[in-house]
Amino acid sequence: MKWKKNKILPAVALLIILMVPFCTEAQKNAEKKTVSFGISYWMNNNRAVYIIANAKSKVDGKFQPDAGVKVSIYLDKDSSANLIGKYITDAHGLAKAIIPPSLQSVWNASPKHTFLAKTEEDKFYESADAEISISKSKILLDTVSDGEKKSVTVSVSAFNGTTWMPVSGVEMKVGVSRSVGSILAVSDKDAYTTDSTGKATIEITKAKFPGDEKGNIVLVARVDENEQLGNLIIEKTVPWGTAVTPDNSFFDQRALWATRFRTPIWLLVMAYSIVIGVWGTIIYLIMLLLKIKKLGMAEA
Amino acid sequence: MEKSTSLTTEKIILDLLPQQFGRRGKIWTGILISICLLGAFAYYRQLRYGLQVTNMRDYASWGIYISNFVFFVAISLVGSLITAVFRLADVKWATPLTRIAEIIAVSAIVFASLIIIVDMGRPERFYNLFLHGRIQSPIMWDVIVITTYFCISLLLLYMPLLPDLKILLRFKESAGSGKWLQKLYKFQGSFWKGTKAQFALSERAITILCIAIIPVAFSIHTVTSWLFATTYRPGWDSTNFGAYFISGAFLVGAGGVVVAMYMFRRFYHLDKYITELHFDKMGRIVVLLSLLYLYFNINEYMVPAFKMKKAEEGHLNELFTGDYALMFWFAIITGLIVPIIVLLFKKGRKPLPMFVIGIMVVVGAWFKRYLIVTPTLLNPFLPMQEVPANYHHYFPSWEEWSIAMGTLAGALLVITFFARIYPIIPIQETLTEQHEMEEK
Repeated sequence: MKWKKNKILPAVALLIILMVPFCTEAQKNAEKKTVSFGISYWMNNNRAVYIIANAKSKVDGKFQPDAGVKVSIYLDKDSSANLIGKYITDAHGLAKAIIPPSLQSVWNASPKHTFLAKTEEDKFYESADAEISISKSKILLDTVSDGEKKSVTVSVSAFNGTTWMPVSGVEMKVGVSRSVGSILAVSDKDAYTTDSTGKATIEITKAKFPGDEKGNIVLVARVDENEQLGNLIIEKTVPWGTAVTPDNSFFDQRALWATRFRTPIWLLVMAYSIVIGVWGTIIYLIMLLLKIKKLGMAEA
Repeated sequence: MEKSTSLTTEKIILDLLPQQFGRRGKIWTGILISICLLGAFAYYRQLRYGLQVTNMRDYASWGIYISNFVFFVAISLVGSLITAVFRLADVKWATPLTRIAEIIAVSAIVFASLIIIVDMGRPERFYNLFLHGRIQSPIMWDVIVITTYFCISLLLLYMPLLPDLKILLRFKESAGSGKWLQKLYKFQGSFWKGTKAQFALSERAITILCIAIIPVAFSIHTVTSWLFATTYRPGWDSTNFGAYFISGAFLVGAGGVVVAMYMFRRFYHLDKYITELHFDKMGRIVVLLSLLYLYFNINEYMVPAFKMKKAEEGHLNELFTGDYALMFWFAIITGLIVPIIVLLFKKGRKPLPMFVIGIMVVVGAWFKRYLIVTPTLLNPFLPMQEVPANYHHYFPSWEEWSIAMGTLAGALLVITFFARIYPIIPIQETLTEQHEMEEK
């Protein structure tokens, strides 16, 4: 029995030691996050086209953005020749990709494209991939103003390889652009849908919109996450707003918190009087010193 | 000057001429230079790598640099106390102390300015203060008063030195001053002939300086206190700060002078000039100033503690019983209570006890300034959330300690070199008083 114990115990110890790397590996694997990954296609004013990759993961039941995720984005094919670029997600978990000029021929070759995005597995994140297929499209915004009556017509069309074909059933928001990306509705409805001609016409029923100093407002039409077309935005500046001159009278007043050229008069008088008084005395003392020097030189 | 000088006069002059460094003086100077060089290296690292080499972060954005700044401004107030107030009050016994006080004031204010520049992450942008400064800003007021006080202190150091420069030139053999020192003395004071007209102008200038320096000295420390008091932070939002800072400044300045008095008396053998009477008188002054500062401390801490406003509760508890309790009670007991108790007794006002008490006052004052600056910053209105753990505490890095010690060593070095170059006790004024006493 004794010799059996002497053989079994070291064997068990060896087994435990061999299992340690697997345990730590399992522990490491348990720490890696599963990334919820997606990409979206954006086109602004029919010119700027870009792809946004979005990485997030669930932490304590809530989605949190994943920063530092390495993303590779491809156009149509997962190959080095079709690589748009390699990116790292920012603090918001986003990475923005712009199609480089080198892929212009690939872009022009077809009216429909697929964007593929892949993340690399590392010690923090599992790998993930996503893809999106879109058709080349354009969105136009026309305005008609007949004195008091104003209307906006938004048309959406898709390229079929040879011509631009109207797209019906595209849902969009149309309104006046406000700060932080919000849209102020111009009529009673918030959203509009294109008809069979690919157009949506909106009558502006609200009378007044505050504009800039010249009375300009920015009309915007936005298609959000359309399955075929992606995200489209078009903007147009029109002089339909009420001119608003900013009231800077609050900041023009003389106050302790104001800019350097708006110092309170009482402080200016006090400060300069003290400085002139004291430094005047110092200058007088220096003059006395010079007088002492002059007397000494005369004596010499 | 008289052709035949009396033995007493010559003895006084020889005793008070600047002395060459002995072995101890060279060791002392070597140590100070080494500390300054270490501080310079630490500052090079700070310039190269940025303020990240310090442990100041988002919350503790002011640390020992600002504590040092306030400490230097405080100690510089002694020039106006000893030199100006005592001169105007015609306090004759203070004559041997006036130059000591003035050189402490000048060197302290120089390093106060330097430590502020050190605290700036981008010192090359200092010129923006003058190009784009706002007169509404307390920082602007501080720059103006510090510059003004420095100029006035320098004049108050230089004017009474003029007659002594003539003596230094006359007694160049005995002074043991080399060619360069002689050139310096000639450049600074060869025009002084000691005529009646020159003396009259000099006396008038010194009197005007003594009058002018008092309000400037009061304003320098009041404005420095307003850097804190014009904020809403618990611990700083106090109407008491101006008077509180000034009373503390007078105390630490007096403590500094006592330490310097003892050192010069001991190592320059000036027992006949800095006598036990001077220590006794300064001891009484230190007791008075300690009691005054204690009164303002009671106002500063007891009143908010009685009310215990929510915003101030955390800060006060940290000082009285928390993380800073040891330092707080050390500063109060060592810097205030013990000096009051010891100096109330005549035996406590002897030179050696006075020297020890002077050091305690100065050290206690340094820690007091640290307690004014940092604990308040670590008790913000909104609780600290989602920040790295090291944001919750502050302890200076080795670079900060080196730079702070470097500036302290630098100030001591300036005083040391001054004592090597110029007489630390005014010779002409001592002679004048001696003659007046003999005539009486």
